[in-house]
Amino acid sequence: MARTTVVGACPHDCPDTCSILTTVEDGKAIAVRGNPDHPFTRGRLCVKVNNYEERVYSDKRILHPLKRVGPKGSGQFQRISWDEAVETIASRWTSVIAEHGAQAILPYSYLGTQGIINGLNVGDPLFNKLGATVLERTFCDSASCTAYMMTIGHTPGVDPESFVHSKYIILWACNTLSTNSHHWPFIEQAKKAGAKLVVIDPVRTRTARLADWHIPIRPGTDAALALAMIHVIIRENLVDRDYIDKYTVGYDELAERASGYTPEFASQETGIPVDDIIKLAREYATTTPAVVRIGVAVERHAGGGQTVRAIACLPGLIGAWKHVGGGLLQLPIWAFPVRWDVLMRPELQPEKMRVLNSWRLGPALTGELGFDPPIKALFVYNANPMAMVTEQGKLETGLAREDLFTVVSEHFLTDTARYADIVLPATTQLEQKDIMFSWGHLYLSYNNKAIEPLGETVSNTELFRRLARAMGITDPTFFRSDDEIIESSLDWSNPVLQGITLGDVMAKGYVRLNMPAPADWAPHREGNFPTASGKCEFKSTIAGGGNFVVPLFRQGYNGDQDAAPVDPLPHYIPPNENARTAPALATRYPLSLISPKSHAFLNSNYGNLPAQTAQAGEEQAVLLNPGDAAQRGIVAGAPIRVFNDRGSFEAFATVSPDIMPGVVVAPSGYWQRSNRKGATVHVLTPPAFADLGRAPTFSDILVQVSGA
Amino acid sequence: MTYVVTDNCRGCRYTECVTVCPVECFHVDDTMTYIDPENCIDCGGCAPACPVGAIEPDYRLAADKKFWIDVNRKRATETPVISARLPPLPGADERKVALGR
Repeated sequence: MARTTVVGACPHDCPDTCSILTTVEDGKAIAVRGNPDHPFTRGRLCVKVNNYEERVYSDKRILHPLKRVGPKGSGQFQRISWDEAVETIASRWTSVIAEHGAQAILPYSYLGTQGIINGLNVGDPLFNKLGATVLERTFCDSASCTAYMMTIGHTPGVDPESFVHSKYIILWACNTLSTNSHHWPFIEQAKKAGAKLVVIDPVRTRTARLADWHIPIRPGTDAALALAMIHVIIRENLVDRDYIDKYTVGYDELAERASGYTPEFASQETGIPVDDIIKLAREYATTTPAVVRIGVAVERHAGGGQTVRAIACLPGLIGAWKHVGGGLLQLPIWAFPVRWDVLMRPELQPEKMRVLNSWRLGPALTGELGFDPPIKALFVYNANPMAMVTEQGKLETGLAREDLFTVVSEHFLTDTARYADIVLPATTQLEQKDIMFSWGHLYLSYNNKAIEPLGETVSNTELFRRLARAMGITDPTFFRSDDEIIESSLDWSNPVLQGITLGDVMAKGYVRLNMPAPADWAPHREGNFPTASGKCEFKSTIAGGGNFVVPLFRQGYNGDQDAAPVDPLPHYIPPNENARTAPALATRYPLSLISPKSHAFLNSNYGNLPAQTAQAGEEQAVLLNPGDAAQRGIVAGAPIRVFNDRGSFEAFATVSPDIMPGVVVAPSGYWQRSNRKGATVHVLTPPAFADLGRAPTFSDILVQVSGA
Repeated sequence: MTYVVTDNCRGCRYTECVTVCPVECFHVDDTMTYIDPENCIDCGGCAPACPVGAIEPDYRLAADKKFWIDVNRKRATETPVISARLPPLPGADERKVALGR
């Protein structure tokens, strides 16, 4: 019996990118565990990945190409060969291009696997070369990325490991213990050394329960709080004048803007008592070092972008950046010298591309967007839009179109794959190699292949090699091996990789980027912000160019941007849907709904697997405050209906004071197929974009709840 | 879901588990440790760290071990949190061998 241990890295769209040790016995993976030597993983994985081998060997895996033999959505498929699958796809695409043009083809993907070679950009060269419609992928952090770029630039920000030196930590819209759990020990260590932990969240999450101070806030009103903090800090002269003079621009304009955002105003918007707002501002400004960690949820409402603008101004205002463990943490991904251009190949694009935002898939397929040519061929990989995308009803109608040719590459027959004409079998992380960035720490990771691919599964890189060949492409760069793509995917001459070889990363599984140690590093002690001015821009230089989505999320294409005017100073945009802004709507739908990540699912990953659904509950639960439940005659465990004008879904009630009055919580990730009425929470979520970066507005929604 | 300490811990009490737990959810008495299910984040770090294989996720427990779920829940409310490793109980190494670990 040959037993080996293979070092790899978690593929999921999570900040932690854990180092994973897989035990392999006679070619079969028998267990996975967190790497005890990795400074961030520290020997632990999570409820999603602890039994990853069960995902790999699940009897629900798709192991061979399939073609549809029943009505769309029926889930009736028949096994076919890879040759037949690829020939069918190539011939359908060729005839679609001949009849309608390449823009009638739409790729649809995101970070179902996050590996640099198999993840975000793996299909971009092919679809850029074909001239297909560009998918603008604003699934996650897009408003934040645009806002960040406008304020402090694409900086990695505070090293997550430097949090041990912080004395005041604000987790803003971030449920660390469920969605960033390997960061927790650093926060815990800071707490033990006397740091105060503040959690701002409408829900008393697992993380909020362990905080020194939990501040419940009405969904979508965070900018009012941040601007009132700025107001108090300036009014009480708690600013760092020296830092402001040397390393920021636009202070006077910001001070004038913030003068209108009093704690009294913010209290009315947020539901937070005036005294608490003042106390928070004072404590934050006078405790050194102070750090803010924002979660993705902070952007998911009408004013999400300007919320991040306002929050990103705070550390510059008080000079928090001067101290190790002071400043702001969003996405350390910007530290990794990934050669996105080599991965995306924007130079292959025709001059004019058509762009579709990822959240508008439903109306694009139904024809509501008036696309000419219409979408006639859809290629889905690394994504399960049917479970996770807004306007679910429209998507269902669109995917059922008989004239739409849909291909889905997947591990499982997802809600989306059920509508495919061709389903292709994809490898899991144990069956493929990859190199990984992280958006939650500063270690480059290597995922060694642990086992041979099951059945006829292929990696995304191999999938796109096959498709390129079938489409008659001869450019040799389309046929590079995985090793060649990995080698070329990073700028090895960048200082952060100095002295590091690919061999080092492969052998150990991870290596810390060549950056100052967490105990020494204050990245913006002396400014050095990667902005137009090189300073922290309270007043943004690039706002004049209007709203945009970073080209990384658009296959490298920078044409046809939103370009809506953007106020160069941070400001408060109230939610589209709440009792103050939409009183008539609120009389019918008085409850705000939020749909955070489930503790046991990674978006819709694991929504079909027994260990995780055992943890999360077999069916969708919705949390209500006891007062809201009693008012509706709803008791814990009762079946309920959640609805608004866009649709309805059914769930079971969980009644808990952990959720503030007037707000209900539907953790996301459940599949349509596991819902009694065949709908997920996204049947209710709105099509509106946030103000910046075309982020979704999932936390900006009114509903009503009744007994089912 | 939660992870659960079961009978293999009794008489050994190596407490390697507490060195990996990020949320201090282990409690201890004279014979063994217990996991507070209210605080456990299901990270699973403790299970492979345990030298005697005493820790399992609740959904994987055999039928005759399911009672440990209630034992852990109850004892966690009655016993103190343990945040640093203790010396194993006398005879732990012999017991480990006897358990075939």
